[in-house]
Parts: sequence; C-alpha cells; structure tokens
Amino acid sequence: MSRSAKKRSSKLSLVGLGVLVVVVLLDFFLKAIIPDSSIRQLLMLAACNVLVALSLNVINGMAGQFSIGHAGFIGIGGYTSAVMASHLHASLGGGEPTFARSFIVVPVCLAASAGMAGVFGLFVGLPSLRLRGDYLAIVTLGFAEIFRLVIATAQASDPTAKGGLLTKIGGALSSLGGQNGYQGIANQGVPLYAGPFWVFGLAFVLGVIAWRIKFSGWGRALRALREDEIAGAAVGIDPTRYKVTSFVIAAVGAGIAGGLMAIMRDGTPTVNPDNYNFAASFDAITMVILGGSGSVTGSAIGGVFITFTIKAIELLQNTGVVQDLRRSIEGLDLNALRMIIYAMVLVALMILRPEGLLGERELFQKRPPPKPKGPTKNTAAPPDTPATVKA
Amino acid sequence: MELVLQHVSKNFGGLRAVGDVGFTVKKNAIFGLIGPNGAGKTTVFNLITGVYKHDEGTIRFGDKDLAPLKPAQIAAVGIARTFQNIRLFSQLTVLENLLVACELQKRAHLAAAVLRLPVHYEDEEAMTERARELLRVFDLEDVAEEPSTSLPYGNQRRLEIARAMMLKPKLLLLDEPAAGMNYGEAEGLKTQIRWLRDTFDLSVVLVEHNMQVVMGVCEDIHVLDHGETIAHGTPDEVRQHPKVLAAYLGEDESETEARSEGAPFRSDSKGA
Repeated sequence: MSRSAKKRSSKLSLVGLGVLVVVVLLDFFLKAIIPDSSIRQLLMLAACNVLVALSLNVINGMAGQFSIGHAGFIGIGGYTSAVMASHLHASLGGGEPTFARSFIVVPVCLAASAGMAGVFGLFVGLPSLRLRGDYLAIVTLGFAEIFRLVIATAQASDPTAKGGLLTKIGGALSSLGGQNGYQGIANQGVPLYAGPFWVFGLAFVLGVIAWRIKFSGWGRALRALREDEIAGAAVGIDPTRYKVTSFVIAAVGAGIAGGLMAIMRDGTPTVNPDNYNFAASFDAITMVILGGSGSVTGSAIGGVFITFTIKAIELLQNTGVVQDLRRSIEGLDLNALRMIIYAMVLVALMILRPEGLLGERELFQKRPPPKPKGPTKNTAAPPDTPATVKA
Repeated sequence: MELVLQHVSKNFGGLRAVGDVGFTVKKNAIFGLIGPNGAGKTTVFNLITGVYKHDEGTIRFGDKDLAPLKPAQIAAVGIARTFQNIRLFSQLTVLENLLVACELQKRAHLAAAVLRLPVHYEDEEAMTERARELLRVFDLEDVAEEPSTSLPYGNQRRLEIARAMMLKPKLLLLDEPAAGMNYGEAEGLKTQIRWLRDTFDLSVVLVEHNMQVVMGVCEDIHVLDHGETIAHGTPDEVRQHPKVLAAYLGEDESETEARSEGAPFRSDSKGA
C-alpha cells in the first residue's frame, strides 16, 4: 500500500471511530437529549430515507436506468425484518428489546431483508434489464404494486390448512396481516430493536459504501455504459451484467432501509402494506432527483429534505388554523397537497436546475489531482487552466 | 493470431447485407476492407465484434470461434475497435474514457474497491499510469482531465484509438479513421497506423474511404460491393482490378483515366 493510501485509511479509521463513539452515545442518551419521541422518530426516519435515496441512486443515478418501484424492495425488506425480529424476539424470551440483544436481532434481520430484496431484485432485473428504454420502469412499477396488493389481499380462511405449495404460500402470506398490517406474533407488535446506534451507524457505513461504489472502477464503467452501451461493450463492459448488478445492489440497499424502518426504535410497531405504495416510490425518486441524480451526497440531502417536508406538512396539518379550515371544508387533507408541492418543486427544479441541487457532483469531493511531473514541456501550464471552453 | 472469416453471411430481413464473405487477416498484417457506400464493410466489423450475429459461416480468431461470444467477451479475447461515428463516453473525462477500457484487466473487483483493499490502489495506480502513457503517445496528455466531448474532432478520433489500445488488443479494427482528415493529417495517420502495428505487435483492419491512406498503408486489401467479395489482393492488384473499377466508377471504363487517388470517394462521406 502506498503512503497516501495508508494516510487515507488511517484518516478513515479515525472518522469511523468517532462515528462509532457518537452513535453508541446516541443510542443511550438520545432519549435524554430529545424528549419528544416524534422528533426522535423523525430523525431516525430521515436516516432510513437517506438509505432509500442512496440505494435508488445506484440504479437511477449511476446506472441511468429508471426504476419507479423502489417501494417494493423497501417493503420486502420491511416485512422480512419485521417477521424475523418478532420470531427472534419470541425465541429470546420476549421482554424489553435491549441494546445487547439488538446485536443478535438487528444483523440477522437486516441480512435476511437484504438477501430477500436482493433475490427479488435479481428476479425482476434479469429479464427486464436486457431490454432497453422504459421497460424497466414499467416492470418495477408492476412488481411493487403486485407485492403490495398480494400482501394486502392475502386471506386464507385457515392459515394452517394442509394442501399444496400454493395453499401453504397463501397461508403464510395471510399470516402477514393483510390490509391491517403485520403486528408481530399474536398482534403484540413488532419488537423495535434498531436504536440510533444501528440507524445512524448504518446510514454512515452505507453512505461510505455508496461513495466508494461511485468512485470505483466499477462505478466508472457503469457511468460509461450510461453514456454508450455499444462502446462500453466494445471495451469489455458487459451491459447486462453491470446493469443487473447495479439493480441488485439498489434492491439490497432498499431491503436494508426497509428492514431498519420496520424495527426502528420510536417507530410504529406495525408494518402496513400502505407504507409501500406508489407514493413511497415517488418520494424516493423525488429524493434522488432533488439532490442530483448520480450524486451520493445529493441523494442523502434529498432524503433528509423530503423526510422533513413530510413532517412539516403534518405539523402544519395539526395547527389550529388548518384544523379550523378542515371543519369548514370537508376533505381538506394537506397530505394530499404534498404531492402537489413536490410536483411544483420538481417542475421548478427542471426549469432552474435540471440536474438537481448538486448535479452529479459531490460535497467534499476532492479536486482532480494535478498532472504528474514528467519530462514533457506541457507540465509548465497550470493544471487547472481550462484548455477548452465548453460550447 | 489470425482472424479468419469463412462464407460469412448476414441478412436483415430480406436484405442480404453480407453474402458469403471470407478472408484471412494474418498476424501483424495491415488489412484494408474497402468498397463503395453500402457495401457492408461496417456490417462486417459489427459481425466480427459481435454487435450483430452472422447467419451463416464462421468467424474465428486464433483457435476461438467468435460466434457464441457477446461483444464484451470478444473485446476480452483481444479485438478492439473504433466506430465510424465516434462513440466516446461523453460525460467522462479523457482519462476516465481510457480507464473504463481496463476494467477487464483489473484484479480488484467491486468488493475490493468497496473495502479499499491494497489491490484496489495498486490496480488504479498501474492503470492510471498506463492510461497516461497512452495519452502521451496520442498527444492527449494536456487534456486528460477535460470532458471527452470538449475535444476537437481529430482529437476525439485519436482518443477513440487510444481507448481501444487500453484493451491491449491483438487485433485493432479501425472504422474510417481518416474521415474528415486533410491530406497532411491523413499522411500522419499512415505513419501512426504502422507505428501502432510495430510497437504493440498487433494486426490492423481498416475500413476506409480515403484511398491515400488505404493504398499507402495496407498490405492486403479486400473489396466488397453489395455485401459480396469482388476482389482481393495487394494495393496494386486491387487498383487494376476491372471489377473494382466498375464498382467504384460504373461500367464505362474509359473514365478510369480520370480517377485520381481518393477522388472517387469524396462525393459521399457516410456509408458502409
């Protein structure tokens, strides 16, 4: 390893240690710092949404494909993790979810969520990414809706009925609670194991991974394919393989995000199919486009921003003025207004800044290194002089 | 390694784009593939590189049958190409355009890059060094950090060749490299092609309309017309071949006197 690489890695381990200390402290003292549980929930939800945006950014931003069914993968992660956590919790003897136990429950749940979402990602991506154009958008949307509706409508008169494979699957699906949502074993609620340690810690770790994916040779090849698939193939980059891999990575990320949300401390102890409707997919797209497609830091900012907007509208909804209005105008629902606000923000963005807040750039991005010293005469020119002017 | 095409045919619906074409490109040869517009030259390139699949015949490179391979796998075998209408990765810098082409040779894959293993740094350093070396060779060093599409046309053509060379190819397919070049630039290109062949020990196949370049640099020329072979031989043989003259100039052979080098091909610039 070169000296600069060593310096980089020691710097990172310092930052990592700092983050570790902070998230452990947060896990124990967040409650004392922020007594309002709804604000704690908001902060953790923001971190989860950052993960949603980061994962969607891999396929929509870096690979330049257009997936509009991200909620499907978030939902698969959510249900997997909720069911796993409930069963693990029961087999550990129930009681209060403790920090020590979360080291067993959370990794297992998230690994299962990630794996399940990844398998479905491969399942959806493999056939649809061979095609070009808008097919992926259609297939992903269809997949997400199928997932949601299957869960919402699964009903078996007797979940334990004997019969063929289909009957068993039907029974298993109907035990997920249908339209009312999954509420843990015997409706005791899903145990909420993932404290700030896990939520904020994973947001940091996965953020670093997303950054590294973008700036790896693999990420570069993915961006190249986005520009020109034929030229990419001509230099040995297999378009299908790269696109499917990026889609699976996005699905795995969404699975982890959904898994975390389902077992997030201060969150709701139920997983409801309505949490994973098209509006959720659309929120995810808005996060990525708002922050800048292809930008890791931009997506993170988008994730935080959208989460806070949702909350702000909710708060506005509860103010006296709006409540009074609601009494006079029946059916006034500011949550519906949210979509209009997003649409307006997006239209304004398209006009003023089509590439999103950051475009494909990053905050904290290092400038390109100066040209290496060499015997050529050209090095005399300052490295950052623009040689050509863009048209 | 030799590139061997035998009885290769390709139909697009009812149109026979390439019919029963066969030729051999020997190791270290500079081979010219010429013909009037629409003759099927670029289609032959696309068949060799797997963009299209041939309907009949065989295409072999060394002892490898290229028929079942996908374009990316054919690139891995050691066949690199440029495109008639330049295809660069427009949002990437000049240097990045070259680095993309060396993903194949890397030992470090995605996991190693995410974990930032030593092998990732070693790879990136070695590849960047090689890319910069090639940029030096192709006189693009100064613009390494520029977006590739900001380069003038001639530099974009050179960049495309440089990118192809990153693959360490054994066979380089150049699709109209002299398009849009003036006399002096075309002369330079001849030297560059020979230099590439000698320095990197590879074979070159050239699709080209510029006769100054084709006749000046190719050792072996294959002439196509309407997807079929009409002549094959050394530049002198091909120049004299009656079918070639007819294909390019029409049946009236009295006009052949008027033919000056390169002139018949100037009327159109797009084709194949």
